[in-house]
Amino acid sequence: MAPRPAVGWAAQQRRAFRFGLLPALIVLAVVTLGPAAYLLVTSLTPLTPVNPDTAFDFSDPLGNYRQIIATDEFWDSVWVQIELSVVTVVTQVLVGLGLALLLDRPSRFLEALRTGFLVPMVLPPIVVAIIWKIIYTPDISPLHQLLAWLGLPIHSLITDARTAIWAIAAADTWEWFPFTMLMLLAALQMVPKEPQEAARIDGANATQLFWHVRLPYIRPTLVVAALFRLIDSIKAFPLIYVLTDGGPGGATEVTNYYAFQQTFNFSYWGYGSAVATLMVAGVFILSLVVNRMGGEAIDD
Amino acid sequence: MKVSTRRIRRRQVLASAASGAALLTLPGRAPAQGGAKPLSGVTLNVSCWSSSYPKFLADYIPEFEQATGAKVNYETPSFPIYNQRMDIELSTKSDAHDVINVTFIFSGRWVGAGWVVPLSDFIDDTKKTPADWNAGDFLPGATAAFKDRQGRLCAIPWIADVHMAGASRYDLIQQAGLKLPDTFDELTTVLKAVNRKDGIPAIVVENHYGWSFIPFLQGFGGNVFRNPPTDLMPVLDTPEAIEAAEYFCNVLRDYGPDGILSYTYDQVLETLKQGRANYSSSNETFLVQMAQKDSKVASTCSLSLTPAGPKGRFPNVAAHGWGIPVGSRNKAAAWEFIKWSMSEELLLRMFNDHGYSSVTRRSIIQRPEFRQKMQVNGVNVAQLYLDTLELGAKGYTAYRTVPPYPPVDHEIDVAIQNIVSRQKTAKEAMAQAQQNALMQLKRAGVKL
Amino acid sequence: MIRRRGIAEGFGVLILGVVLLPALWLLQMSFRHNDDIMSASWRFVPTLENYTSLWNGQFPGSFVHSLLASGFSTAFSLLLGVPAAYALARAQFRGARQIGLWILATRMAPPIAFTIPFFLAFTWAGLMDTVTGLALIYVTFNLALVIWSMRGFFAAVPRSLEEAAWIDGCGVWSAFLRIALPLAAPGLAATGILCFILSWNDFFFALILTRTRAMTAPVAIVNFMQYAGWEWGKIAAAGVLVMLPVLVFTFLVRAYLVSGLMAGGVKE
Repeated sequence: MAPRPAVGWAAQQRRAFRFGLLPALIVLAVVTLGPAAYLLVTSLTPLTPVNPDTAFDFSDPLGNYRQIIATDEFWDSVWVQIELSVVTVVTQVLVGLGLALLLDRPSRFLEALRTGFLVPMVLPPIVVAIIWKIIYTPDISPLHQLLAWLGLPIHSLITDARTAIWAIAAADTWEWFPFTMLMLLAALQMVPKEPQEAARIDGANATQLFWHVRLPYIRPTLVVAALFRLIDSIKAFPLIYVLTDGGPGGATEVTNYYAFQQTFNFSYWGYGSAVATLMVAGVFILSLVVNRMGGEAIDD
Repeated sequence: MKVSTRRIRRRQVLASAASGAALLTLPGRAPAQGGAKPLSGVTLNVSCWSSSYPKFLADYIPEFEQATGAKVNYETPSFPIYNQRMDIELSTKSDAHDVINVTFIFSGRWVGAGWVVPLSDFIDDTKKTPADWNAGDFLPGATAAFKDRQGRLCAIPWIADVHMAGASRYDLIQQAGLKLPDTFDELTTVLKAVNRKDGIPAIVVENHYGWSFIPFLQGFGGNVFRNPPTDLMPVLDTPEAIEAAEYFCNVLRDYGPDGILSYTYDQVLETLKQGRANYSSSNETFLVQMAQKDSKVASTCSLSLTPAGPKGRFPNVAAHGWGIPVGSRNKAAAWEFIKWSMSEELLLRMFNDHGYSSVTRRSIIQRPEFRQKMQVNGVNVAQLYLDTLELGAKGYTAYRTVPPYPPVDHEIDVAIQNIVSRQKTAKEAMAQAQQNALMQLKRAGVKL
Repeated sequence: MIRRRGIAEGFGVLILGVVLLPALWLLQMSFRHNDDIMSASWRFVPTLENYTSLWNGQFPGSFVHSLLASGFSTAFSLLLGVPAAYALARAQFRGARQIGLWILATRMAPPIAFTIPFFLAFTWAGLMDTVTGLALIYVTFNLALVIWSMRGFFAAVPRSLEEAAWIDGCGVWSAFLRIALPLAAPGLAATGILCFILSWNDFFFALILTRTRAMTAPVAIVNFMQYAGWEWGKIAAAGVLVMLPVLVFTFLVRAYLVSGLMAGGVKE
């Protein structure tokens, strides 16, 4: 093939990239812009389906938002959310990384083992919630029975305000560590062999090998994994629904659960939409921050 | 085992079908010569959550289709799924269903918002409903929940679920020289006497406290609202309410299993049937299952009325009923289905074929064979059922069906959780519940 | 080297065993008679009735619907998302970062935010209770995952190889297909698996947007929660069955998770 002239190639490249990006953007725009607009508009009304007059009542557009800011339950839920998200994201990334490092070896046996590690994530979330409900009910729990037999009896974890959120975090980590593990394993597999070989020949030990050679390559994936676990942790639902229903006394009521109750159990669609809008705004800002922290790695 | 029982039931059903089919004459719509059926070409979409009556009804629907020519799409999803879906459908006035179940906890909302058709037009019109269908036969305690603001009936109740009390290990109570408690004071005595006997906690109660706490609240003279349905001022922080909350929470904490706050209604049922807890105050539909063949406590269980407090006895009464969504395009045909499925003849057959006993027709309850079948270890449950329904008709359950009750229900749940988990004292918790309830009512646009 | 591998393997099995204990508990529950399940005894008579009873009713159908919805949505998500991810990773126009963030934002809204509008829109468009409708929703919410995930993986593939190919006259997408994509194969496999799993396990949208003709497996499981006592045995058996196709899929795809293509491929 003849070497390509530089002029015109840049434009050709740009066109090619836009062409690759466009279909995805179109689909996303079509499906999400409408509902997003609906969400925003609804949040400006006191819409509740039991009273049809409220549908287009824009007399007090920021009313919902003012109520939210003045509601203790909302701010409590934000704090619970922060606690839960921080603990679960950090733990899942660390556990996932640890396991990925363990399994990233040329071994047929370990390759087969990988599939087994995915089980917690592959089980339907509602089934996971039921399993952990049993584990956390002292009367029928194998865990509680084992601990009692060992002479270390403990009380119910999900009905004690001090331990309930950590019990949920533990169940959540069990369920989702395979997510980060899978992504990081793939990333580790993609680290080029030559730099690793070179470092080993130079006498680097395992820690140095990881820190200086492999980590830079897997950093983009680390950030993405953390980002996605963060975003999904905000939407956590089945575990809370089955294990604690937001209790005891709101100790495990995260903002998403609060919004769900307001919207579906109490039919405050307008108010619930406002909470959801604030949630999206909050997550967006958080993601900006996290992305910037791992920033250079993504933007070449 | 289960398969062969089903076959036997089917045979019984088919046998009684022969006599039943003759009863399916629809007034004013006798099939013409040549057999054109009154509803041919009509498709009815019927949905109800999977309780026992709807499940049994599935066996009889082919008869309805045969006699009327209609096609019936019948589904019975589980309780939470049914409610979630139906709430959204009704609120968007969808035409997806013709006959639906009006769930008790949503009746205030669905009936109050006018999402189901008032049935008085159908009932009062003798051309649509013959007099001997006997609409007045339905117990007032059960129909009360489905009356709209003008007093029109908007659903026909197929179950009256009443609150009772019971013990899975009555033998332990007898060993202590006591019987099932009739008052709160007796309750404390009994619980203290049998707690941890045989290694099991004395009491277990389901964690929907907006339901299970109210008999205690009212028993101490408290209430949720000042005078529902007209005066909706919440009164959750009165001295009586605080006293009731303290009593209730102490009982749960001192005599209940570890982690009692997490026990849902189905968990409570399983626990009782396995004999892993003794006493409970719960729905009759659950408590009678302690006497079923697959229960470990069938021979040691017993039932009684809900205990009374210093200010009286206030057992809960819940009802679910058939209604017609306003969006339905086959309202007349839907009414035919409701009439047929709630006719005295069909309900009697269901009672004989399947042993279905939570009926709402007085004429059936008063039959001797009904009272006969409803005995549990010497206790006449039919009488308890009737007595409780009588009490329920007095109107103290009005708090439950006012449209803004759900958020207040939630605040009560939270308050009890706070007290039992020692995050707040009874006074603090009820004060918070009161404050939040006021805020919620304001948000719902209620004038106080 | 080999001894270290042996230690790693041993460790791996141990950890896996502990991690899987709750799942193994579920497995044994699925073989118990329903009344036996809550009892504290360890001995029981195994029975297959929970599994056989699942083959009546809606469960087999829901299985098929889940397979179709997840399969199609994964395929389309990858088809649309991987080129977009490549474009974002390689393109050097200023808006790239903003576009990336807006794409990410489509995933941020909690399901409750979109429930009512989707319900109304689907009813109007006739997509209610269809596998197609569900697949469309899944594609939308997984696109953000595919794009961001693959962008991270493409970022780890050195640009130099493609640049060399471009100079040699190779087109952008040709270089993509022949160089970048194969090198990012482990990432592609991982992303595909995650896409499939997330669609497969979705409950909320399936609940709202389907009734009987397109009911999926997670909803069918919740249907076992009867008013008068959960059918634990059936739930456990259903959970085990629902898990199997995904595990099979992952097992089949595991070869692609291993990068054998990098060895000897990079000569600087």
